[in-house]
Amino acid sequence: MERRHFLRNSGLLAGGLLLGNSLFARSSAAGPVKIGVIGCGDRGTGMIHSLNQMPDLFRITAVCDVLDFRLLAAQKLDKTNSWKTYTDYRKLLDQADIEAAVIATPLHMHYPIATAAIDSGRHLYLEKTMTYNIEQALDLVKRMQQRPKQVLQVGHQYRYSPLYYKVKEMIEAGDLGTITQIDCRWDRNTTWRRPTPNPSLERTINWRMYREYSGGLVAELLSHQIDFVNWVFDTHPQDFYATGGIDIHKDGRETYDNVQVMMRYPDKGLTANFGATCGNARDGYLFKIKGTKGMISLLTDQGVLYPEKSLQKEKGTVDGVTGATRITWNKDGGLPILPEPTKDGTSYALKDFYNKIQTHELPDSNVFTGARTAISVHLANQALYSKIACSWSDTYVLT
Amino acid sequence: MGKNKLLPVAVVLLLLLCTAARQQLLRRFQLQGFAQGTTYSIVYYATDSLVTLAQTDSLLQQLDRSVSLYHPLSLINRFNRSTKGIIIDAPFRAIIQRALEIHRATGGLADPTVKPLVDAWGFGVVKNTQLPDSATIQKLLHQVGADKITLKGNFLYKLQPGVQLDLNGIAQGYAVDLLALLLQRYHIHRYLVELGGELRIKGRKAGNTPFTIGIEGIAGNDLAPEPMRKIIEAANGAITTSGNYRKQYTAGGRQVSHLINPLTGYPLQNEMISVTVYARDAITADGYDNGFMAMGLQQTLAFLHNREDMGAYIVYRRPDGSVADTVTRFFKGYKR
Repeated sequence: MERRHFLRNSGLLAGGLLLGNSLFARSSAAGPVKIGVIGCGDRGTGMIHSLNQMPDLFRITAVCDVLDFRLLAAQKLDKTNSWKTYTDYRKLLDQADIEAAVIATPLHMHYPIATAAIDSGRHLYLEKTMTYNIEQALDLVKRMQQRPKQVLQVGHQYRYSPLYYKVKEMIEAGDLGTITQIDCRWDRNTTWRRPTPNPSLERTINWRMYREYSGGLVAELLSHQIDFVNWVFDTHPQDFYATGGIDIHKDGRETYDNVQVMMRYPDKGLTANFGATCGNARDGYLFKIKGTKGMISLLTDQGVLYPEKSLQKEKGTVDGVTGATRITWNKDGGLPILPEPTKDGTSYALKDFYNKIQTHELPDSNVFTGARTAISVHLANQALYSKIACSWSDTYVLT
Repeated sequence: MGKNKLLPVAVVLLLLLCTAARQQLLRRFQLQGFAQGTTYSIVYYATDSLVTLAQTDSLLQQLDRSVSLYHPLSLINRFNRSTKGIIIDAPFRAIIQRALEIHRATGGLADPTVKPLVDAWGFGVVKNTQLPDSATIQKLLHQVGADKITLKGNFLYKLQPGVQLDLNGIAQGYAVDLLALLLQRYHIHRYLVELGGELRIKGRKAGNTPFTIGIEGIAGNDLAPEPMRKIIEAANGAITTSGNYRKQYTAGGRQVSHLINPLTGYPLQNEMISVTVYARDAITADGYDNGFMAMGLQQTLAFLHNREDMGAYIVYRRPDGSVADTVTRFFKGYKR
């Protein structure tokens, strides 16, 4: 509650500031940013819902998908009956009034669509993982360096929530002490498949199952946590070790349904473990950051700090403490990092996307951090499928 | 003759031995649990683990079924949903009677019927996201006030269907008293009970050293807590704190306190940051602490000036913005 009020008000405040800046940036008199959504699957329609809830910031004017039934479903979310629909993203980019595009397509299409959108001068909200491979990531970095006024934001939305900013702040302030271990999981007990209306659409709809289109569980799920670690510590993994297999759903898929990746960050003295399985749902999303002073356990919208017990004892010089009542969520000594769960990260991410379009500043999840994460994901997958440990190369220039 | 001389000596020796043995046998026990959305902790000194966590948990759960707003089927929630009122149980009655006494004593500033306003300002169980306007406040004020409820026997009447109770400001104190009572039933006379920052203390620790109590710093940051503002040696009685440093939010550039003035309908806006009250029992201390927050510094000092049974340690903000503190005469155990 408290948080929501705060955000709403700071939102108003930010709106006021934007008016001031509009003289030398996009004129906010232009109204909401006109935006086209390319890719109307699960994530694309999720983005449409979020955009629809921000009519002051964004107005969707076009949607695009290669599948007719997806396009029809997306159109039903159009309350203004004004969206143009396309099956070819190039046609959407030809529509003159569009200022920005969301790309929420299968991973292998990120790069061709992103380059076309960038070349057409559009601001871009590009879903994670930024690109399918390393070369594409490096190329997008080069392109965006020549376009300082254009905004490219990568859809690692979780870290846009106030919770993840707060955690970054705490880690930087040394609240956890020296951090040496990070454990991440993103587990489920389903096939991770979508139903297909007819078998010929199998590869189009279940693209996540095929290595030609997808980076599998590492790219689709673990990339969020990989990205957060890179961002908080402002570094990238140096060494990648991985193993896995198709162990549960032997249904013709090519991407592993059970993966485990270990990454080493020698400059930080840090090891991080990333795992995902489609064969057990108990842990679900797990994100634990462990330091000498305490551990933070994160969900996407809630976080708890567990100070190390030895430190708590040092403080115990009194027999009792009186104070205003402290709300606790659990019985195991954890302290909530924020008083209430945060909203879905997408709303915070889109708000900032709008702000950055006005000010032409670099987003927090930008082409450089996006490339760093895309390369990390790609190297993890390389280690996973080749069964050979691999390393970050100094030739990856990200500045 | 010789026998008669020796007898008193023997008795004295025996008594000394017993006392020494007793002292040696005292052990420290600690129970830590979770109740009413917060934590509780009990430290007691006894010869054996006479009271267990199962007992204290069950006692607190039973109280929750009476007066917790977080328990959907609690009596208090049933009362709030009812149009005319309901039959209440003994703990509910004890709390509401004390709450009404304190309501009178504080001129209506500690009010068990403040819930509609608390909810409107977004501090209720169901979070409101829209700040109330003045028309809403005026409307809600008609449902607030202790004159809108009456207790006849076991039946608690509401005189308007919209009247709702919130006993959170006093029930924690009562819970602490119940825990203390439980310990005393087992002849435990050295204990410190704490629930949600409200304390009840009796006796001294083994070795005859007093229990020490920290009065929490006012930064309200639980993740990196600041040092205790004061450390006091506690005598028998209860110590509770009300403060607006932990539950608040910012709106329109101002801090909105979770403490609502039941007479105006608006969140408190005065110099008070926190008040720590000492009284004989925790229901009294807890019942008054919110009222003192609403009274403000001068009125609270005047109220407590001649009291022989209650005292307060107050942290407040001076007009220049600096933080200061003061203590009343009867804040027992307070040591500079």
